[in-house]
Amino acid sequence: MQKVKGIKNNLSAYGFLSPWFIGFVLFIGGPIIASIVLSFTRWNLLGTPEFFGLQNYVNMFMPGSGFLNSLRATLFYTVISVTVSVFASLFMAVLLNFRVKFRGIFQFCFFAPAVMPTVALAFVFQLIFNQHMGILNYGLSRLGIAIQPNWLNDPFWVWVSMGIVTVFTYSTGQMMLIFNAALKDVPQAQYEAADVEGANFFQRFWHVTIPNISPIILFNVVVGTVNSFNTAFSIVFPLTNGGPANETMVLSLELYNSAFGMFNMGHASAVATVLFVIVAIVGALQFRLSKKAVHYD
Amino acid sequence: MNRKKPIWVSCLQYALLITVALFMIFPIFWIFSNSLRTLPGISHFPPRLLPEELMFENYVEVLRGSNALIYFRNTMILIVANTVGTLISSSFVAYPLARMNFKGRNFVFALIIATMMVPAVTTIIPQFIIFRTLGWLDSLWPMIVPGFFAFPYNVFLFRQFFMTIPKELDEAAKMDGCNKLQVFTVMIVPLAKPIFITVTVLSSIWWWNELFLPLIYVQSHHLRPLTTGALAGFRVPGSPHMIQWNLQMAMATLMIIPPMILYLVASKHLVQGIKATGLKD
Repeated sequence: MQKVKGIKNNLSAYGFLSPWFIGFVLFIGGPIIASIVLSFTRWNLLGTPEFFGLQNYVNMFMPGSGFLNSLRATLFYTVISVTVSVFASLFMAVLLNFRVKFRGIFQFCFFAPAVMPTVALAFVFQLIFNQHMGILNYGLSRLGIAIQPNWLNDPFWVWVSMGIVTVFTYSTGQMMLIFNAALKDVPQAQYEAADVEGANFFQRFWHVTIPNISPIILFNVVVGTVNSFNTAFSIVFPLTNGGPANETMVLSLELYNSAFGMFNMGHASAVATVLFVIVAIVGALQFRLSKKAVHYD
Repeated sequence: MNRKKPIWVSCLQYALLITVALFMIFPIFWIFSNSLRTLPGISHFPPRLLPEELMFENYVEVLRGSNALIYFRNTMILIVANTVGTLISSSFVAYPLARMNFKGRNFVFALIIATMMVPAVTTIIPQFIIFRTLGWLDSLWPMIVPGFFAFPYNVFLFRQFFMTIPKELDEAAKMDGCNKLQVFTVMIVPLAKPIFITVTVLSSIWWWNELFLPLIYVQSHHLRPLTTGALAGFRVPGSPHMIQWNLQMAMATLMIIPPMILYLVASKHLVQGIKATGLKD
């Protein structure tokens, strides 16, 4: 009797799970395997895929392939966006924890750009960053700064531009809200103890705040890294479309171009597989680290 | 609260907060300000913070002279369909994960957490092939149908919320003769209203901003949502490489207002949802 009940229970549980299971097979698990299989073929969407062995992977390292450049661009983008997001969001969260009035209004101002479509963000920054008529270079000249960078068209300054734009993205806003909550959980008694010892603001921050929120910092760094592979496309595509001269051609954009621009499905699938492996490694790392930091149960 | 702050500390704090706030809303202000200019007004040097004369005609031109309203309709279809789809399917899937003991529960949950991290681009090629085989390219279906198969991130949010509802309620309902499905629909769903609102808000903002999928699945102008529609841009008649920035900014204004209103109205729910992903329990 007990056993029958257990089986019935399992069945009804899997009944509830069935939408996820179908979705997983059709839209995630299946496609991951299919991508790996397609990465060993040559196919332009017409006819049938023909077996190509490891050639797609070998070609990645041939001269003229953009792959290593894309890998570098992805690394740059990830490091810059995660670093900027974590520092900017922590800074804003600390400000939001000041004991002042109108915190709701300040939080609105800090978070509002995060819900903007990246397309709109890209449009306005194309204006702001314009070398000749943009307000940023005008502001710099008014401050007496002689350099007038060509922000989005210079291989160095384009990364500075990416860093600036990152401050206004959803991932920064998301991290800010998470930090904001974490800061409120820091035991007040520890601050009071620090005050008794005569600590100033920065000492309190360094010796009390940071140790208390370090698991959250770690969490945000790892989640931010994984998210950056997702957000890279929606920021880079409308803002620079990979330019100048492929400087910001991140992997997701290369995949998009080769799959849906040149219909080189084999190469694109190989890029997808590489990207998947990178995410899997970062994810496994997160899993190991977050076991200590974050408890889901 | 017992520590007294000197006045200068307060002043410094307000100064910092106001400076950062102005910095953060500057792009929004700049979109709005430029949306009311003439095209020469935008390229005027030195730039002025406010437009010389207010060109509300820009908005009329965007709404009348472009597909903006059709793009808006398509975006709304995507939002409504996906939100309804994910509310039903994700809450359904989250229920046993939170409240039933069954074989393989931890494995399934770990798999769902893991799939939260898979970037959309890595699965796009086989998905594209599936939808091509079905003849669904250049339609909204490839972006609507997957919504009904539980989005992992939303499953996670629902599951976390369901965990907080006392288990005794299930037992009591079972005593009254409810089966599992009835426990879920009669008992859990009404109690979980806050998380349904949270997921609605997050899903709406997500689909309002989604760029990648419509770029791949939809070519026809009359099927584009706002994001890819706006990307096509407003060109100066006769010179296709010149962008009419004033109209582009009016379009951008129309695109940023709804998510900001949603945030204003539902900030509590939005904030809860985002925090839930980052914090213990």
